[in-house]
Amino acid sequence: MHLQKCVSFFILKMIRLCMKRVESVNILEIQDLTKKFGDFIAVDHMSLSVAEGEIFGFLGSNGAGKSTTIHMITGLLRKNKGTIIVLGKNSEKSATFIKRNIGMVPQELAIYEDLTAYENVHFFAGLYGMRGKKLHERTVEALKFVGLEGKEKIYPRNFSGGMKRRLNIACAIAHRPKLIIMDEPTVGIDPQSRKYILDSVRKLNAMGCTIIYTSHYMEEVEEICTRIAIIDHGKIIAEGTKEQLKSLITDSKLIVVDVKSPEAVDLAAIQAIQGVSNVQLDDQTIQIHTELGVNNLNHLIAHFIQNGIEIRSLDEREPNLETVFLTLTGRNLRDA
Amino acid sequence: MQDIFWLMRKIFIETFRSKKNIILYLFFPLFGIAIAFIAFGQTHSQSLAVGIVNEDPGKITDETIDYLHTKTGIDVQALKRDKISEALTSGNVDAVITIEKGFAEGILRQHPGHITVVSIKGNSVTAMLKATLYQYMDNLVALSTAANGDAEQFTMMYEQYKQTEFGMQTTEMGDLSRQFNMTQTAIGFLIMIMMISASNLSEIILKEKQERTYYRLLASPITTKTYITANLLVNMIVMIIQFLLTLLILTGVFHINLGIPFWEICLVMLLFSIISVGLSLVIITFANSRSAVGALKNLIIIPTTMLSGCFWPYEIMPKVAQRIAEFLPQRWILKTLTQMQEGSAIENLYMNFLVLFAFALAFFLIAAYRFSRNNSTKNFI
Ligand SMILES: Nc1ncnc2c1ncn2[C@@H]1O[C@H](COP(=O)(O)OP(=O)(O)OP(=O)(O)O)[C@@H](O)[C@H]1O
Ligand SMILES: [Mg+2]
Repeated sequence: MHLQKCVSFFILKMIRLCMKRVESVNILEIQDLTKKFGDFIAVDHMSLSVAEGEIFGFLGSNGAGKSTTIHMITGLLRKNKGTIIVLGKNSEKSATFIKRNIGMVPQELAIYEDLTAYENVHFFAGLYGMRGKKLHERTVEALKFVGLEGKEKIYPRNFSGGMKRRLNIACAIAHRPKLIIMDEPTVGIDPQSRKYILDSVRKLNAMGCTIIYTSHYMEEVEEICTRIAIIDHGKIIAEGTKEQLKSLITDSKLIVVDVKSPEAVDLAAIQAIQGVSNVQLDDQTIQIHTELGVNNLNHLIAHFIQNGIEIRSLDEREPNLETVFLTLTGRNLRDA
Repeated sequence: MQDIFWLMRKIFIETFRSKKNIILYLFFPLFGIAIAFIAFGQTHSQSLAVGIVNEDPGKITDETIDYLHTKTGIDVQALKRDKISEALTSGNVDAVITIEKGFAEGILRQHPGHITVVSIKGNSVTAMLKATLYQYMDNLVALSTAANGDAEQFTMMYEQYKQTEFGMQTTEMGDLSRQFNMTQTAIGFLIMIMMISASNLSEIILKEKQERTYYRLLASPITTKTYITANLLVNMIVMIIQFLLTLLILTGVFHINLGIPFWEICLVMLLFSIISVGLSLVIITFANSRSAVGALKNLIIIPTTMLSGCFWPYEIMPKVAQRIAEFLPQRWILKTLTQMQEGSAIENLYMNFLVLFAFALAFFLIAAYRFSRNNSTKNFI
């Protein structure tokens, strides 16, 4: 009897140890996370995990709840429900520990216009307890990382939008956090700055940082992320590598039609054509999602001709993240 | 603690980098001194006509009146009790001192009092006369104590004292009242600048929220408490620099007699600094944006400062205004300073200090309550 108890205790302990091992590989674990603003549910029972060394893409349209999720992870916003575990520690018990190990690049610029680029990074890095020579070195290193070397003494008000964005990143990485969370770091910037930022994300990752990268630019996410979660209305609707995500929609394809007079297009009529699962009109471009294996191209073309709509070009596209997203959110919208 | 210093350092760098702020925080307070000189700068003031009503005839009272005669800058004349208002309204005298029955007795019993001073020239004249009289009376009391009730001993010691004291011509009386006046004017202006500076410095909190650096700070290991404390300390330091600078320049450069021991006036101004910082926190917790702070600042600080008599004598304001002023911290500061100039000992002013402490406490409690409420409704930790 006694021996039995001992053995079962031992086995339980071993199981727990093993589970801890598994957990510690994940740098971030979210379970059942929920955030309400009044009656509005911004984040809806979300669960996800990010492993160490990943560049995890957080993809979603405006208002999907990306920033809200990030603010809960970084301790800026109270959650209503769920658990957040960062580096194996619970956010409720180890808030300061977690904050120490995260670098957050906020969606909107958060830098001091009255301090120079150097002073900005120097100040924010100093909040993590560094001082003196080490702080100076890290500051210089972070500025170099985002390609702002030589601009140390300049005030951000004299920076271009892209340079400000890069400074915004430098302020979050100088303390060498294990987890860097970037909330749409490339919104509204020039291609050169964008390239700098994407390169620095890769470099940071190569140096051992885990990165959560939020964006609504599909190409970016597709280019750099090792794993992607698509989030819509506060829920994760798909998660996986980009290949996995694309394979989700082997059952449909995308036909893109450019027309001359979009006002004459009757979306409902197109929707009614056999095999069409979703139609969207964007300026002069119609995106038609249609089931694979149903040959309805003739019907579609006939529809345009009958209605006197001039076709400028017609293109059948391979599924990419864009099509994945449209298809998935389209389904999701219809379900709702 | 390290974090607090780090944050304070940043606020100082950010603030004092702009020339505009250096002028506002360091030079503007001194403007009050300039105004004081413009208002009371002429050295050759007319001598003051003082009427004395003696209702306690005797040796000590006569000596006291003789003592006043020796002071330059005032012309002393005897007056009957029923002629007081007539003499004052006709302008024959500027002030009236009434020595009431029991005056001499009070000195011998070491409880000086039984003196009233009325003036039509405002606080500073009353203060100056009272200060002079009480100083003299205190000396008499000291002599009486030393003589230990021995009348002969007292007379002997008094004669000795009279020779040294009466012979010495210290400050001219008119000039003393002028200096008290200048002190009050300079401090009246300083009070307004301190309040404006305090709310500007607290506004940095709103600026950080608006420019979102605040949220970045909170995403670091810094807590809201640490951040607010740092801001508050910077604010207090600036306040202290402002009043010390003004007082030091008044006394050190212009040799103005404040009429109050230096450390005592510092204590009062320190208390006012705490009140200003508290009020500034209240203002920013009620304002949601920086433009709202500007509006509240104009709406609160300037009118109340005027009502409190910082720019003109409290006595000339209508009764209603005077009554409202009793609820304003600035009024209590000025009142306390006037009473101190009149010679009240600091331990007799505990009521004033109690009221001032209550103002400070109330402001901080309101601010703390509003802060906690704002934070919970906005969901930001
Ligand atoms: N403090 C708040 N109070 C009320 N509603 C809010 C608040 N913050 C966010 N929301 C709402 O929650 C939803 C999710 O917002 P969130 O900022 O997380 O979206 P997002 O995915 O980051 O979008 P974007 O791409 O525009 O940044 C939005 O509908 C937004 O209006
Ligand atoms: Mg966002």
